[in-house]
Amino acid sequence: MKIVALTKAAVPLSSAIRIDPKTGTLVREGVPLTSNAWDRDAVEFALKLKDKYGGEVIALSMAPPSGIPALESLIGMGVDRAILASDRVFAGADTWATAHVLAKTIEKYVPDYDLVVAGEETIDSTTAHIGAQTASWLGVPYVYYVYDAEIKGRTLIARRFLEDEGVDEVFEVEMPAVISVLKGSQVPREVRLSRKLNAREYIQIVSNKELGLEPDCVGLRGSPTVVAGMAPATYPPRKKVVIQGEPAEVVKKLVEILKQEGVL
Amino acid sequence: MKFDVVIVGAGPAGLAAAYKLASAGFKVVVLERGREPGAKELYGGRIYAYWLDKYLPEFRKDAPVDRWVRRERVSFLTEDKALTIETAVVEKEKTSFVVPLVSFVSWMAKLAQNAGAKIVTETPVDILVKDEKGRITGVQSGPDVLQADYVVDAEGVNRLLLERAGIVKKLEPELVAVGVKEVLKFENKKTLEERLGLGEDEGLAWAIAGYPTEYLPGGGFIYTYKDALALGVVVYMRNWEKLKTPVYDLAEKLRLHPYMAPLVKGASLQEYGGHMTPVAGINMAPPRFYYDGLLIAGDAAGFLLHTGVLIRGVDFAVASGVLAAEAIKEARSPSAEDLAVYEKKLRSSFILPQLEKFRKADRLLSDESLFRDLALLSTEAAYSYFNIDENHRTLFEAVREASKKTSISLVKLMINMIKMVRNL
Repeated sequence: MKIVALTKAAVPLSSAIRIDPKTGTLVREGVPLTSNAWDRDAVEFALKLKDKYGGEVIALSMAPPSGIPALESLIGMGVDRAILASDRVFAGADTWATAHVLAKTIEKYVPDYDLVVAGEETIDSTTAHIGAQTASWLGVPYVYYVYDAEIKGRTLIARRFLEDEGVDEVFEVEMPAVISVLKGSQVPREVRLSRKLNAREYIQIVSNKELGLEPDCVGLRGSPTVVAGMAPATYPPRKKVVIQGEPAEVVKKLVEILKQEGVL
Repeated sequence: MKFDVVIVGAGPAGLAAAYKLASAGFKVVVLERGREPGAKELYGGRIYAYWLDKYLPEFRKDAPVDRWVRRERVSFLTEDKALTIETAVVEKEKTSFVVPLVSFVSWMAKLAQNAGAKIVTETPVDILVKDEKGRITGVQSGPDVLQADYVVDAEGVNRLLLERAGIVKKLEPELVAVGVKEVLKFENKKTLEERLGLGEDEGLAWAIAGYPTEYLPGGGFIYTYKDALALGVVVYMRNWEKLKTPVYDLAEKLRLHPYMAPLVKGASLQEYGGHMTPVAGINMAPPRFYYDGLLIAGDAAGFLLHTGVLIRGVDFAVASGVLAAEAIKEARSPSAEDLAVYEKKLRSSFILPQLEKFRKADRLLSDESLFRDLALLSTEAAYSYFNIDENHRTLFEAVREASKKTSISLVKLMINMIKMVRNL
């Protein structure tokens, strides 16, 4: 059983997200990148399958070298090894071009993969595209919002939960396949010292020299998405009214004010 | 896997030890629970350079510095009055500087790594591992044990490892203060300089007593980064239950005070945080700084000097880390007997003599009436003196009038002042 876990070195918290007002892009400088929180759910999911069925879990990421600590962290969790696809020509990629690099890296370096797991979405761009697009590049089935799975022979029996419908669904797909893991459905295991100590030794860095992808299909040039504009969400200014007194009175006054404001 | 030295905590003390030991060829690993070195740390904002020049002169070359402090301001602040004293140097002196601690610590981390030290982050150490004779032989993190000849405990003020090893008791509230701090970012550095009346690249350190802590022991502070300032409040833990405002709101309350608000108007809140600080200093030191296989450095050892207006932690931490490294280099074995050289070094350095000299500062600073009396009386007296009405008061009359108005005895205040002058 070979499982590839897709992961992104992301800005760690939504509160750490800042948009450059001039370029409209995410500010990454000065923010220590960590593995996307929802990818850790996917990694936990993969490790559980490995615990049950044996095999190997390989983390895969496309990032500049600043993405290495995020992979070290996943190796600390118990991932067997990691591959970092890193090349200047990959820079500026949208999800389509990123998924292209990820799929081609899998085909070249883990050709005998059984399953690819991805997080539901990233915490810093939240497109939730990568799983589906990687499946599309690989030409294999894709199931998303998965929270539990078992394997019988070459069949993956995946359970997923659709929040809007409140429906639990069971899918049976032939492997190899791609799944994305419902965020918050797993409790990622702790990083272990013994794993983390030499984590760097388990990370393989591959550039486009090895992958040999068409420069027109990767990075900014291979990205059909155009960000036409981005504007920070503005919040109405706070009124800065402090109401003091006994809780009961305060609540009364608050309700009064909210009524005046037309909120209630 | 075995290391010569395991260091707990990638802060100024741990990294200084790591740098010096790795440079001397020791196989060193630093274990840090945060995601990066410095991730779990918080301080007011200033580092003193004098002892760094002696113990880590490399910092002059390329360590990050936001602003060198050239102005020291002290204010007594009440609800409606303030009295501010400022001292400034025109010369471009470089004696203390303001920088985000995490920037300085990551600079130190690179220094240590380049020297060959290994830093492993996201790794909380759970216990110091002892052998059957009680000697420290390594550390345990989760189920994993890491053996080492020497362990340097630089875990910081919340010294859980030393507690679990039975070396120190649980921290008493009397020994620590809690600090909360906001970082407020201005549009650009010029705005900040204009607001605070600073020259280009000039740094300011500002201590504020009275109002920020609701007249309880402790005080407020402001330090200037490049285009942002740190604004915070430190309160002694023994008094926290007397506060009417939750601790976490104290910094905001100070920011909104009419004396402060115009200075920071329009600045955006970039970060906020809270941390304990070992204000008792040497009074919370462990019984010894060395044990079989173990040395203790930095905040965990109580190496913090606090005199109300002046607070020094980083220079003490760095120096103690360097001395721990020297002790390990000189020791023939990890026995306590051989490591006793660490304490000798601490005594012949500035660390223990200076901490001992200010040993009584903590008791005095935690005297509840001191802050209240000084702040209320001094602001009131200054107001009376400068306020011309029917009567034009002499300075003495102004003070006497303020004493009457605030019902603060001048004799008691004088006694307190004498104590202050002698001990702080």
